[in-house]
Amino acid sequence: MIGRRLLQKRVWNSGRRWLFPSSLLSPVPAEYCKRHFSTHVLAAFSSPGDNPVNLKIPYTENKCKFFSSIAVAHLSTNGIVDVPLAQTGEGIAECELLKWFVHEGDEIDEFQPLCEVQSDKATIEITSRYKGRVAQVLHVPGSIVKVGETLLKMAVEENRIPLVVLGNLENEKHCDTKLNKDCTGGVLSTPAVRNLAKEHGINIDEVQGSGKDSRVLKEDVLKYAAQKSIIEDPSFTATADLGELFHGETSSSQVSAEVSGHYEDTIVPLRGFQRTMVKTMSMAAKVPHFHYVEEIDCDALAELKASFQTNNSEPGIKFTFLPILIKSLSLALSKYPVVNSCFNEESVEVILRGSHNIGIAMATPCGLVVPNIKNVQSLSILEITKELSRLQQLALDNKLSPDDISGGTITLSNIGAIGGKFGAPIVNLPEVAIIAMGRIQKLPRVADDGDIYSASIMTVNIGADHRVLDGATVARFCNEWKRFIEKPELLMLHMK
Amino acid sequence: MLIPQTRNIGLPMMNLMRFKGLPILQQLHIEEQLLRTSSENWCIINDGTNDPTIVMGVSGKPAELLEIESVLHDQVPVIRRFTGGGTVIVDHETIFVTFICNKEAVPDLQPYPRPIMSWSNTLYSKVFQGIGDFHLRENDYVFGNHKFGGNAQSITKNKWIHHTSFLWDFDVRNMAYLKLPKRAPAYRSARGHLDFICRLKDYMPRSIFIDKTVEAAGTHFSLRSLESEAIETCSETEFRPLTRFLTNEELEAAAALAGQ
Repeated sequence: MIGRRLLQKRVWNSGRRWLFPSSLLSPVPAEYCKRHFSTHVLAAFSSPGDNPVNLKIPYTENKCKFFSSIAVAHLSTNGIVDVPLAQTGEGIAECELLKWFVHEGDEIDEFQPLCEVQSDKATIEITSRYKGRVAQVLHVPGSIVKVGETLLKMAVEENRIPLVVLGNLENEKHCDTKLNKDCTGGVLSTPAVRNLAKEHGINIDEVQGSGKDSRVLKEDVLKYAAQKSIIEDPSFTATADLGELFHGETSSSQVSAEVSGHYEDTIVPLRGFQRTMVKTMSMAAKVPHFHYVEEIDCDALAELKASFQTNNSEPGIKFTFLPILIKSLSLALSKYPVVNSCFNEESVEVILRGSHNIGIAMATPCGLVVPNIKNVQSLSILEITKELSRLQQLALDNKLSPDDISGGTITLSNIGAIGGKFGAPIVNLPEVAIIAMGRIQKLPRVADDGDIYSASIMTVNIGADHRVLDGATVARFCNEWKRFIEKPELLMLHMK
Repeated sequence: MLIPQTRNIGLPMMNLMRFKGLPILQQLHIEEQLLRTSSENWCIINDGTNDPTIVMGVSGKPAELLEIESVLHDQVPVIRRFTGGGTVIVDHETIFVTFICNKEAVPDLQPYPRPIMSWSNTLYSKVFQGIGDFHLRENDYVFGNHKFGGNAQSITKNKWIHHTSFLWDFDVRNMAYLKLPKRAPAYRSARGHLDFICRLKDYMPRSIFIDKTVEAAGTHFSLRSLESEAIETCSETEFRPLTRFLTNEELEAAAALAGQ
C-alpha cells in the first residue's frame, strides 16, 4: 500500500471542551501571560436566549508576573465566582437539578462532582472547575435550571481562577494583531464549529457569523476556508473514482499557514481507519517486497468498455475499465494460484485460496479502506460491475460491513484514477501481491515496420511478497493478465 | 488470518455479558455498580426479563406517568432507575442492551447526551442496515414513525452509560398502565401507545438481532465474553445502588397528592 496520510473523518461533535463541567482546561503556555493582550472570560456558556456574562479584562505585563501557567483574572474583589450550569449538549436549554453532592461550606477540589442534573434522557454529573469552598447553593433538587444560570457560588482563591478564553489557544500569537484593535469579543459558536475552524487553521474570530447574534456556523467556516483556498471543493473528494485520495493534512495546513502568514505546526491525532493504517502498514513494512513493472496496451480494453456502454440494456449502470480488469485478473489467477494466496509466518505455509476475493482500494471520507468482491471467479463482468458499485456507495457512506472488508485474497489499487504513472504499493497482509495501476496515457509506440502510432498505455506495478513469490512467477502471471487485457476476446475461450 | 487481528488492534477492550430472563432490578443494580465502580468497558445484553415491571426514570413522578390505581390493583412492580429518561413497562419480550464506557473508549466522542446518542445510532444502523427504515428520532429508535427502542443515559465524571430497551414484542394490556407523558417527542404527535410503537419481531429474528448487535459492537471494541458468575462477586462489595422498587405506600402517597 502506498502509505501516506489521509484526511481523517472527525465525529463533528468532537473538539475542545471549552466550558464543560468535567473538562480539563487546556493549559495556556506560560508565554501567553507575557503578552499584552485583551481577552474575554465567559463565566457562562452562551446559548440562544441567554446573556453570557462578558468581562473584558485588559492585561498589563506587570500583572502577568503573578500568574501560573494558567492565565488568571480578577473576577471580583472578594474572590466569589458564579458557577453556571454549563452547556451539556447542543440545543439543550435547561436541566432538572436532581441532587447535590456538596453543601454550603464544603471545601471542593477541582473536578470534584458538585451535583447531578437531568436533561431529556440523560443524568449528568457536573464537576467543579475550581478549587475552593461552596459559598452559596442557589437551587434545590427538583428545580429546573437554565443553561447559563448560576448553580452555586464558590469562594475561590484569587490567583487560582482559571480563564476561559474564546478563540483558538494554539493561535494565541494572533492576539498580537488584535492588540491594537478594539477587541469587542470572541465570536459565538459551538465547540464543533470551533474544532472545524481549528482543523483548517482558521482563527474563528476572523470569520463572519451568519447565525443568530452573529453566531459563526459551520457553513461560515467552510465558506471562509474556501475563500482562503484552504480546502478544495468537497465534491471532488466525493466523486473521485476508485483509488487512494491523498490530501495530506500537512499540505492543507501548510496552505492555511501561508494564507494566515504563520508557519505553525498542527498536531493531528490519528484515529479510526488512519490509526489502523499505522499498524497495518508497520507490519507490512517488515515484509520483503519486490516490485515488477509492466506496460499494458489498453486500446482493446477501451473499445470493449465503449461497446458495453453503447449496448447497455440496464439503466443506472456505468461501465468502467475496472470490472474488466478484475475479471481478467481472476482468469490469470486461475493459472497462477500462488499469487492468490496467504502466507502463514508461524507455520511457514502458503494457503492457496480457492476464492478470488479481489480487494479494491477506495478512498472514503474516513480514510483508506479495501472492500473486496467475493468469488470473482464465479461472477460475470456485469455482476462484478454491480457489486463494485454497491461497495463504492457503502464506502462513501461509511457503511461497509466487516464482511465486506475481510477475506480478501489480492488487492487492486487504481491510483491512476487520481493520477501518476505508477506507484510502489505495499502488500495488504496477509495477501502476497498487490497491483497498482497508473493512469492510462496516450503514448507513442513503434510498430514492427518502424512506423510510430499512438496507443493507450497503462503502467502497472505489482508489489509482491518475496518470501512467497519470485520474479519469474510474477512476470509470467503478469504476462497472462496482460494478454487478457490486450486481447479480451481470449476471455471468451475460458468462459464457463 | 492476520487481517481480522489487525483490525482489532487498537480497539478498546469491552466485557460482554449476556443474560436471559435476568430480573430487571438486578440488571439495573449491576449496571449502576459497574458505572460507579468499574474502570472497564461493558456491554450487557439481557434477552428478556421475568415479570412485567414498570421502570421509571430517575426523576419520574408516578402520578403523572402511571395509572396508579390499576398499577396498585394489579400489583405491578414499579422501579425507579438511576438513569434519566422516560417510563417503560418491560417483560420477557423486551430485549435490553447496555453500553458502559470510559470517556476515552470511543475516539473523538464527546461525553454528552447527543453525541453518545448519535454514536449509538451509528452502531444500531449497522445492525438494522437495509431493514425497515431504521433511524434515531429524538432519542428513540424507530422504524419509520414507530418506536421500538427507548434510550436512557447517565454521564459521570469519567464514564457514561447508554442503555436501551427494545420492544421485541409487547402485550397491549400492559401499555394501559402508562399514561401519555407530558413531555413527549414531537414526532409522536399525541398518538397513543398502540399507534406509536411497533414490534421488533416484525423486522428481525430475535437471535439475529442479538448476534448482529454483538457483531456491531465488535467493530468498535474488542469484545471479551464474561460468564455471569463473574459479576456476582461484584455484589459482595459495599456499593448501594439508587435503583429500587417504589413501595405501595409511596405510590399511594403520590396518588393522594395528585388528588386521584
